[in-house]
Amino acid sequence: MAKDFDTTTGADLSREELTSVMTALEPDQIISTKERHHCPRRRLTRTEMILFWALRIYLVFMVGVVVYQIWTSVR
Amino acid sequence: MKERKTTSEPRGLAVPQSSVVITHEDIDRAHDREQVSATRARRGFRPRLRLFWLLIGPGILVMLGENDGPSMLSYAATGARFGIGFFVPVLVLTFLMACVVQEMTVRLGAATHRGHAELIFDRFGPFWGWFSMIDLMVGNFLTLVTEFIAIRAGLGFFGVRPAVAVVGALLVLSVALMTHRYWTWERIILGAAMFNLVFVPVALLTHPHWGAVGRALVTWKPLPGGLTQETVLILLALIGATVTPWMLFFQQSAIADKGLTINDIRMGRLDTVLGAALATVAALATMLATAPLFAHHMAAANFEAAEFAQALQPFVGYWGAALFALGMFEAGMVAAITISTSSAYAFGEVARRPHSLNLPFRQGKSFYLVLLVEAIAAAGLVLIPGIPLVYIVLLVNVIAVLAMPPALLFLYMLVNDREIMGALVSPMWANVLALGVVVILIGAGLLFGISVIAPNALALLGGG
Repeated sequence: MAKDFDTTTGADLSREELTSVMTALEPDQIISTKERHHCPRRRLTRTEMILFWALRIYLVFMVGVVVYQIWTSVR
Repeated sequence: MKERKTTSEPRGLAVPQSSVVITHEDIDRAHDREQVSATRARRGFRPRLRLFWLLIGPGILVMLGENDGPSMLSYAATGARFGIGFFVPVLVLTFLMACVVQEMTVRLGAATHRGHAELIFDRFGPFWGWFSMIDLMVGNFLTLVTEFIAIRAGLGFFGVRPAVAVVGALLVLSVALMTHRYWTWERIILGAAMFNLVFVPVALLTHPHWGAVGRALVTWKPLPGGLTQETVLILLALIGATVTPWMLFFQQSAIADKGLTINDIRMGRLDTVLGAALATVAALATMLATAPLFAHHMAAANFEAAEFAQALQPFVGYWGAALFALGMFEAGMVAAITISTSSAYAFGEVARRPHSLNLPFRQGKSFYLVLLVEAIAAAGLVLIPGIPLVYIVLLVNVIAVLAMPPALLFLYMLVNDREIMGALVSPMWANVLALGVVVILIGAGLLFGISVIAPNALALLGGG
């Protein structure tokens, strides 16, 4: 990501302006901080994995039903 | 390329102290937050009102954005086919469902400052992250096609040629992006979204039977006459018209882009409820506006918006019909903007590219290009002669309902994830309501499956 905060204004940030940005935003709202610190990955339990896959299969099956309905309607 | 490095001073959050780089996006967001903080520090009614003005946006936009082309066509078709009855309270129920679901995105966005796709990617891994983003992209693309159908049909009433209507809509979408400022963009689209309420005067021109509306809301009657393939399709279309995956992604990302924090959750909820209330009024008005077609036994099997407007002309006059057509154009236009934005947010979050409406074009090329390319491709498809537009409209709402349970599972797990939500995890009642919504969505999806695969079984279920 481009870090040139001042290229559009053509002006540098003063210490006061910098302080006001740091005060106005929460630390994890600052883009460079967000980019460096991502939420850690969580371990999925067996039940959660089964639920994820069950709903995925449900979705694929139902999309098949929609395609079937369109096919029969077109015919 | 200049950089300003300083040392961040975390205020109680789990962010390690390290050097940070301040970007253009940070400066814009900080400017907005300063106004919020200054207003919050003042007491009295006017500062409270100003605070509300500063913080509203994502909720109203997402709710009125979802009153989009296919949604308004579904409401119009329901009013024309079934009049005032069972589907009036169903419509109100669907908006309550939308409130339950969207409230979770408000908390999630304000607590984490991250978009929905980003959180799925981070917490559940790239496999599920890319999967959910592809689901969203496919659904959004199909929905965008229907928005351009509505734009084309709405302007068609005034004699505007399809190519001119579609290219004009793309220009409006591009102009809205040129602000390169979330706040300005949000205010422009909010103003445009208010035109969704043009369906109210059209409904009033038809002199609705308010007693029948009140009775329908209380008794859920008259029933549509048994469980048939048509009633199931309408039911699914109504649900798909109010609860869809793009809404989750858009509102959470918009909240992060706007910079809302946990102190703003109350206003975020109010924003969502107000949006749902306005959207319900507009949706009900559309249903009531086309109810005379049912009362006069006029066939309304065709979903083309301009034909609805033309059919209504004997009841509401030219200007009423013109408002209806204008409303269809607005519904498609606002939704085209918000839906393509939700795709761009999701792509940026998953692909780790800059994603904000505060970005100048040079810094947010991939964000703006995804947004524009998706919109241009959808618009182009609408202009291909012989494309079955009616099927696409029907398909979109059905697919939205079918894609919602997997999306809701991610949302449910994230909003109950104590590691990222802390004390803001969902209370028991919110979880019960959320699971209720999932059950209704899966039930509606299965009912649709039965109606297609074994239509005769519907008679056993509902006596149709």
